[in-house]
Order: sequence, then structure tokens, then C-alpha cells
Amino acid sequence: MAADATDASSKTLSVAEQLEQLNAARKLVLDNIAYYDRIVKGVLPIIGPTAALELRRWGAEFLAESLATPVLTMRDKENITVAVLDTLRRLIEGAGEDVIVLKACVAAAASAYPIALRWIIHNSYHAESWEQMSATKSRILHIWDGAPAPVKLSCIKFAQRVVLCQTASNGMEQKYNGLDISLNMVPPNHPLLDPRQLEAEATGLLDRMLGVLQDNSSDALLVDATLNCLSILIRTRPATSNRILNAVLNFNPLKLANSPMTPKTRVLVQSLVKTTRIFLTNLLKRDPHNPMSGRIQQYLERLMRSRTEIFDEAGRKRALADHTAAAYGDAKRQKLEGGVAQVSIPPLGPGPHTLAAVFALTSNLGLQGFDATQLPANLAARISVSALATLDEQVLNFAVAGVRDRLASLYGAGPAAAAGEPSVINAATAPLGVEEEDDDYEPDLTLAEDTEQILNKLDNAPPEEVIEPAADAAAALALGPFKLPPPPALDPDTAASLSQAAASRVFGPVSALKDGGAVRKSKAGINRLAASSYDHESWMTLITRLATRSTAGLDDVSSSIKQEDAGSALDRPRVSLGDTIREMLYTYILEDWRRRIEIAVAWLCEEWYNDQLTKRSGSNAPLHYEKWTLRLVDGFLSYITTQDKVLTRFLAEIPELSKALLGKLKGLCADPTTVQLALTSLLYLVMMRPPVREIALDTVADIWSEYEDARPLAAKYLAKWRPGFIESQTRGAQGDAAPANNVAIAA
Amino acid sequence: MDVASENMGSSTPAPNGQRQDESGFKLKFCTVCASNQNRSMEGHLRLAQANYPVISFGTGSLVRLPGPTQTQPNVYKFNETSYDSIYRELEAKDPRLYRANGLLNMLGRNRLIKWGPERWQDWQVGMPRIKNEKDQGSAGLEGGVPDVVITCEERCWDAVVDDLLNRGSPLNRPVHVINIDIKDNHQDASIGGGAIVDLADALNKAAVEEREKVGASGFDAGSAASRASFDERVPEVLAEWQERWPKLPSTWTLSWF
Repeated sequence: MAADATDASSKTLSVAEQLEQLNAARKLVLDNIAYYDRIVKGVLPIIGPTAALELRRWGAEFLAESLATPVLTMRDKENITVAVLDTLRRLIEGAGEDVIVLKACVAAAASAYPIALRWIIHNSYHAESWEQMSATKSRILHIWDGAPAPVKLSCIKFAQRVVLCQTASNGMEQKYNGLDISLNMVPPNHPLLDPRQLEAEATGLLDRMLGVLQDNSSDALLVDATLNCLSILIRTRPATSNRILNAVLNFNPLKLANSPMTPKTRVLVQSLVKTTRIFLTNLLKRDPHNPMSGRIQQYLERLMRSRTEIFDEAGRKRALADHTAAAYGDAKRQKLEGGVAQVSIPPLGPGPHTLAAVFALTSNLGLQGFDATQLPANLAARISVSALATLDEQVLNFAVAGVRDRLASLYGAGPAAAAGEPSVINAATAPLGVEEEDDDYEPDLTLAEDTEQILNKLDNAPPEEVIEPAADAAAALALGPFKLPPPPALDPDTAASLSQAAASRVFGPVSALKDGGAVRKSKAGINRLAASSYDHESWMTLITRLATRSTAGLDDVSSSIKQEDAGSALDRPRVSLGDTIREMLYTYILEDWRRRIEIAVAWLCEEWYNDQLTKRSGSNAPLHYEKWTLRLVDGFLSYITTQDKVLTRFLAEIPELSKALLGKLKGLCADPTTVQLALTSLLYLVMMRPPVREIALDTVADIWSEYEDARPLAAKYLAKWRPGFIESQTRGAQGDAAPANNVAIAA
Repeated sequence: MDVASENMGSSTPAPNGQRQDESGFKLKFCTVCASNQNRSMEGHLRLAQANYPVISFGTGSLVRLPGPTQTQPNVYKFNETSYDSIYRELEAKDPRLYRANGLLNMLGRNRLIKWGPERWQDWQVGMPRIKNEKDQGSAGLEGGVPDVVITCEERCWDAVVDDLLNRGSPLNRPVHVINIDIKDNHQDASIGGGAIVDLADALNKAAVEEREKVGASGFDAGSAASRASFDERVPEVLAEWQERWPKLPSTWTLSWF
């Protein structure tokens, strides 16, 4: 048939004529799938590595198409796959092969891989096919990194198919086109396939795929290609879900937005953001009860907010905001100045009036009926503050005068009623529930009287400025000072629990202020003031300073009081406000320490600074830096994994390192997976922080002598940075004394 | 709306919107809108006239066309209703209304392009389309796998990318999915059709340049732009296109069939 015809005549025909025939053959298989087997096998000799470029391109693309086509059954595809593996391998292994040929061949290999795996599961005698496939695989994984972009795309997809085949499935995928071929199908005692090895390979490949996200790459092409093929892994290969999700949630698609916004970067940033968004929303839709859905939701909200900030605010909205901000004050003031004359305060008619009526300045009936007590206190406070801030002084004076006149006229209307009681409480204030007994209360004598209560009392006292100008009228009105009953005395336990509650409220805004502004940080520069931008970061600065500075110096004082006044209720082991906040800060950081390590560093810097000040002042107040550093390190060391390079960063950035602290790293060496991390971190310190070089090297030396597994790596570093050490150790009996000496010298 | 006359302003000098076929490598396109009637069909026609292989789809659940009032749309099933039958039904219902609002004109055009509206989600990628050879733009797309999908609305782009995630990319074949926001009326669809052809030309030029480089050695020759592969150049080409068509916001991603 057609295949035979092409085969026979290929020698004598020109390339163009051959292509024409090949295209006719392709039409034939597309029309009738029965010819696939014969035609694919028939074209193989024509498209091999020695064929003309056009033929190789055509052939590679035809193979990719044939191995992927949905019309063939798995059995048909197995036949074709086994037949093409050799050609495929030779094309891929060809040195300097054309990009388009390679791209199509790797794509064909991606389709062939699951089929070959399935074939070999059932036909283990056919080791040759599996060798071909494995050779192809290693070649592809070898060229992956250095390949041109189109080939790289195919390599990513190839790796994805390998991961899909070599991890256990949860059976949720469609039984279609080889998507359902998984590790579940590999029997444990297969002569060629070792399930554990396959799974390990898949884990490694997945990490390699996710590398592009972990590096926060801005290469939209590769990131999009990766994201757009991860979805099925998360859904159907549970072993991969967490790693993929963590990588995606730590990926910042807006990183590129920091660079100048050219039309091209705009396309790239939009693409990264939208692809990430669709990927995550697709996941949420498919599996709304995923334990990570909360985090996904948060991530999406933050992403959308930042995107709006970058794309809208940078243009239209920002300009508008600036414009109004500039115009705001003047416009408002003008209006009010013009309006002073229009504010009229009608005198009240005769008859009893409520206090509310006396102070109601509006003539709008609807507004008069509004019950201001319905407003939540915090809202009322905000309205009052902003109203007072923008209110014109003249208007305020006018209003105060108006209310005063009303009160005066009220008094004038009913002097008899007022005269009845000498220390009259205005009838209107009666509902507030002031009782005579309260006057008997002598707060001044109680021990619990403290500044705060005095302040409260002062607050409740009538404002003097208001009363004095009105003294003549007020004397007649006899509006005595109004006192709220002072609160009951606090016992230390309640005080402690209240301060704990207060401290926890400090953390309230943290969750609301999610750090979305990361992308705008670059503008701050060195002249910025800490905690002035009202975002997540400045709030964290506020909290760390509240913890470290608010009670600085006071701890010392209280301890001296304790000694004098040993019997008082204050003399208990009590937690200071600073320590409460520290404790909460500690918990906050550990909740998600990988992402909050910056906060930890900032906090420890504050602690260190504060400790230095305390030391300088010579007081005997407790020092905090060392204690909290050790706690933090203890806290997250138990969760650390190989990839947590944040450890290195943390150690490099905190202001002071001690022997005890570095000693904690030794514990990591008990686990062979984290040996590398611990030692690299120490090496970094040795290289980059000369002041602690000796302590770090001592720690490496200790690791060398205590942990057998860590020896090779430790020895490498020691040989470079402390030459002669290992020799002195291995020399025998006197070797034991050497490390002790070393430590003594370093300490 | 008369497509042919609208079309004359753009870069297609041949009569009746038809362009001379400079035979050579052609990217394969797919246009997508909500109902596979107006915007995607305009794009389909214009790309076919420019000799690109093209197919088209709708992402909606049903084919929705305006009816006598806003609450009484004409609704049809995808894949089962032909443009011709819709044409005849609407013509029988109220010829004056449907001629005045341009529906009959549009359907008349569509029935000359292909048989009926197809739904994206029901399309099996890679199914041979040998039987569709009478469709305009079918030549070259017999394999049923386009290189570039162009959607005409953000919602459709979302639906397409989302659907491709659900399918699990069994074919291992990369596809560029590009959205161009086009308003759903005849005039904007016509402008959008021109913009789509402009984009297709720019993309195809990049793809042809890639294929002209021979082997790995070709990698060292030429300027930086022509050295980059087609896939890498898509965002750049789109950015340049966006400068030319600032009123049609666009989005791009690389997904998999």
C-alpha cells in the first residue's frame, strides 16, 4: 500500500516529492486507523538520523502525533511504541540535532514512556525495549538543562509523564491515553522494575520540575508550562500534592513586576499571575475540602490584591488618589468656612428635653431620630476622630456656644426645679445611673490605685476649659462633676490575664494586614522610618519593638521593689507584658517559620540592641537575646528538612552567635539528610562571618568527632579551614586532648 | 454585516478578503468565543481567508442568540444544531427582526464556513478532522491539533485553560493560549477579526523564521530576536501586537493538550 510505495521509491525521489508522499500517507492513516501500524513502521527507515532535515522534522512530528493520537487503543500503541523506540533513541542521541526534531522527539518519548512501562510490566522478558526507553530517558534528562527553550518545554512534559507513571495513583484519573498508568501497576517482584527505585526517581524529577518555581523564575514560558501540567499530579498522585502546593504557594509570580514595566514584562507578569490563579482556582473547585484550601484562598486574595495594585494603581487609580489627597483638605475647608454662617443652632422650646436633644445640633428630623448608641464603639471612635480632625475651629466654638446657650435657657426656664436639690444632678443625666453611695468610695486609700486609674478619673472629670468660661452660668446650673465608679481593684492574676488579652489583640491586625505589599518595598530606601507605612511589615516592627522596648528598664525597677516589699501581692512570679508579647511572637513565627524567618531576624536584632542598651546602663535587668534565640532555633530545628536553606540565612543574619547556639546544629547531624544543610550553614559562617569563624569551626570539629555519618563532609571543610586538625585527631592517644584545647582557646 | 467590505482596510489586498497563498509553513489556529457564532466565527473566516488552517469552538453550555427581548434568547445545543437550521428557524420566526439585528447575516456567513457550532469542552483534541474538509480553513488541520488557541473573552480563556488542566494533558503537546478581549457585537467582532489576523501573521512570521534555521548550528547566526525560538518569542510578539492594538487587552499562557 502507501507505505510500501514510499518505502520502495524513497531512494529515487527528491525530498519534496518524498514529503508529498509522506503527507499523503499521513492523510491515509488519519482517515483509517487500520493503516497506522504499517505506515508508522514503513516510514521509520526514511526518517532516521541520516535522513534530510525536512524528512527528520516531518518524521519526528509524525511520531509524536501517532504516539499521542486518541484514536488508537493501548494495544495498538504498544505495538507502534516498541517498533519506534530505536529510531526515537537514535534521533534524540544524535549530536547537534535540529531543535524542531528534538522537540517533537522528546514529546513522542513522553507519550511512549507510559506505554513502554506498561508493556514491560506485562512482558518482562523483553528487556531490550526497556533498555531503549531507559537510554532515551537518561539522554533526555541529560540534555534538559542546557536545551533551547522549545526542547526544554518537551523535557518538562517528559519529566511530568515519568512522575505520573512512577508514583502511586489514587485512581481519580480518566482511564485514557495512558494517564492511568501508575506505580500501582508495577508488581513488587518485577525482574526489571524496582518500584522503590522508580518512585525515588519520580521524587527527584518532580523536585527538578519544581525548581523553576522555587527559584522564583521569571521565565514565564517555563513556569507556565510547568504549572499547566502539574494539576493532574496533584489530583491523582497524592504523594506529590503537598510538595507541589508548597512550591506553588511559595512562588511569587509578581517578582518581575519590580523591573521596569515594558510591554513585554507586562505580558509576562500577567501571564504568570493568571496562570497561577487558574491553576489554584481549578484545584479549589475540584477539591474544596483540601486541607490547604485556606492557604490557597489567602494566596489568591493576596495575589489579586497585589496585581490590582501593580496594574491599576500604577496608572489611573494612584493618580486619582494623589489628586484627591492634594485637593481634599482645601475643598473641605472651603466648604466649611463658607458654611459657618449657615450652621444655625435653634434654641430649644419649653418643656422637658432629653440630654440628646440638648446636644442635637441638626434640624433634620431623620438625623435627630438616629440613635448614636447603636454604632459600634470603634466605629464611633473613628468617626469622632476624623470629624474632629477635619472640623473647623470656628464651627466647633459656634456649636459649643450654642449648646451652652441652650443649657442656660433651660436653667432659666426651670430654676425652681433645679433649686430643689442642692447638689443637683441634672434630670437629663439621671438615666446614667449615678448613685449617691459612690461618693463614699475613697479610691485614694486603696493600694490598687495606679496611674491608669488616676488617668481614668481625670478623664471622667469635667473638662476644665469648657466649664471655666461658662463659670458664671455653670455655677447657677450646678452641674456637678460626674464620676464613674472606679473599677474594682485588679489582682495580679486578672491583671496578667488581661495583659495577655491585650497582647493578643496586638496580633489582631497581623492577619488582616497580610504582607501583600512585598512588591512595593523597593521604593522605601534608606531614609524610611520604621513602622510608618501602615502595612504588615511596619506592624511587625511595631510588635517587635513593643516586645523589646516597652518595658525595657522597668523590669529592673520592679525587682528592686520586690525586695523591699516582700509581702505584697505583687511579689509573685509574674510575666511582664514584654514577655507575653515575646511568647506570642514566638508562637507566631513558629506557625510558619519558613516564611516568617525575616520577622524572627528583625525581632532578634531588636532584642540584641535592647540587651546592649541594658548592659550599658549597668542595670541588672534580665537579658533576652540569647534565651529567645535558643528557643527559636530549638523550635524550628525539629521541623527542618534538607531544603530549608533559610537556616543558613537565619544564622547569617542574626546579630550574635554563641557556642551554645551553634551546638544546636550538631543535633541536625544525627539525621543523614540534614547533615549537608548543617555543615553548609556552618561553612557559610566560617567564610562570611570571621568573628564567629572559630566557634563555627569548633562546632564542625565536634561534629566530626561525634557523628560518624557526617565525617566525610566535615573532614573536607576542616581540611581546608583548620589544616592539621584531623591529622592530630587521628594520631591516636594524644588526639583526645586536642579538641579540648581547641575549645579552650576559642572560648 | 458585510465582512468583505469591512475587511478591505486591513492588509489583505486580494479581492473578497482572500489572500494570495504564499504556500509554506503555516501555524494552525483555533478561535474560541462563548457561542461559536460571532467573534470566533469572524476570526475563523478571516484566518481561513488568510490561508491559515483554523478551527473554532464555543465554551458556553449552550449556543445563545438574542431573541425578541432580553429574557427570551434563542437557545440551541452545541454540536447538534447546524447554522443552516438556526438560520431557517429564525427566518421563519421573524425575518424583519433577525435581519435588522444582523443575526441572519451572521448565520448566513457561518453556514458557509462550517456545519454548526462546536463546543470546546466536548472536542476531543487530536481526533482526525478528515471529514471536515469542506469547512473553511480545514486544510492543514486534518490532525485536529492546533498550535495556537485564540479566545475572544477573558471568561473563555479561563474556561479553556481550566479545561486543559482538567484533561490532564494526555497528548504532551504544547499550545499557546492567547486571549483578546473583543466585545460581542458585529462591529467589534469585525475589528477583532482583523486584529486576530494581524497577530496570526506576526506569530507565523516568528514560526517560519524558527523553521528556517537549520539544525543546532543555526543557533549562532542572526540577531538575538531571530535566534530565539518561536515559543520564546510569543510573549514578545504579543507585546508588540498589543502596542498596535491597545484597545484589545490580551493575555497569554503556554498550556498542554
